[in-house]
Amino acid sequence: MTNSDFDDLDGHTLEELSDYLESGRTPRDPGIENSAACRLALEGLARLRALSLDALQREADRDPTRDDGWIAGLLDIIKDEIRPGRDIPISDPDAMTSLSVTEAAVRGLVRAAADALPSVIIGRTEIEGDVSTPGAPVRVRITAAAEYGHALPPLVEELRRVVAEALAEHTELVIDQIDVTIDDVYRRAER
Amino acid sequence: MLNARSRAAPAADVLLGHRAGGAGIDLHGPLRDASDTILASRAIDGDLVAFEVIAHRHGPLMRVLAANLLGSELESDDVVQEAFISAWRHLGELNDPARIRSWLMRIVSNRALDRIRARRHHDDIDAADRASTGPSTEALVEHRMQLDAVWIALGRLPADQRRCWLLRETAGYSYAEIGETLDIPVSTVRGLLARARATLLLEMEAWR
Repeated sequence: MTNSDFDDLDGHTLEELSDYLESGRTPRDPGIENSAACRLALEGLARLRALSLDALQREADRDPTRDDGWIAGLLDIIKDEIRPGRDIPISDPDAMTSLSVTEAAVRGLVRAAADALPSVIIGRTEIEGDVSTPGAPVRVRITAAAEYGHALPPLVEELRRVVAEALAEHTELVIDQIDVTIDDVYRRAER
Repeated sequence: MLNARSRAAPAADVLLGHRAGGAGIDLHGPLRDASDTILASRAIDGDLVAFEVIAHRHGPLMRVLAANLLGSELESDDVVQEAFISAWRHLGELNDPARIRSWLMRIVSNRALDRIRARRHHDDIDAADRASTGPSTEALVEHRMQLDAVWIALGRLPADQRRCWLLRETAGYSYAEIGETLDIPVSTVRGLLARARATLLLEMEAWR
């Protein structure tokens, strides 16, 4: 194998340049930066790195249905493996039995309610406090992404409202507070 | 004591993704535009639908990575499926949801390398690895010559060089980590990477 194109790198090796590139070209090395051959090789290395991933990605995108099989199998295997979390009691008219709903199901309810809103996508849902004691106040913390171009205060208010309504309708949790953190903004993709 | 969960069942069903057939998620639903951070956050909370979107978004790349590490497409579906099952079970350990893709890449790479190690006990890997997953000749006719050149050159690299390159450049392993997972000295890793780098760079430059 000939290495002729990159033989003369003004005293540097490709490996050195690769390490230098990985360090974000800092601290700046004038010996490298002032060498035309080195800069050309750096440019090539950076492009090669991007192309390596792009080449895999393009192969991955070649057949959009290629992965449906193993993904369907995957979901089949994991669908019953949802960690239920804590049991949240619900009062039962029959004194001989007890009713409860899992924390995972309540999180699901919160997401379902929030997903009905058009311009926000909810992320984490955390329920803090003693959920197993009926009547004990709990605090709900949620994170969400807002669609670009919407004023946040009304969006957050609306989110709080639908989440509070869903919890009131389906659970007996006493909600002390619903904290909403908008930690991301997204643009709706072109359809 | 009856632990009745029926009351929450209908709503939970919608969310936990119990649909007929399992596959066929509505990829045009609200989650389609969601960032990896949001999807991973929801998956950590047990949202199977969000995890399904993640699998559709990143699974194909992971499968191709596995195939290229293994040098064969025969096992790549199994490997990537195992990796995603493992990921689902360990989502609680994902500290930064934004980094889900590189986290998955690691899991997939580790799974593929486990297979390679197991295979070593059976036969000479180089014989099996010779059959690379290079592209068909028709692919050559496409526009993006450099991309083709890199893809072809990757496929032609000796298996050990290709593995080192992919682990370093796509999965972000350090030299030491590559040496550890492939059970070779770091100096060998450096040598293999240097050869892969020089070959790939020349192949790519040839199409400029």
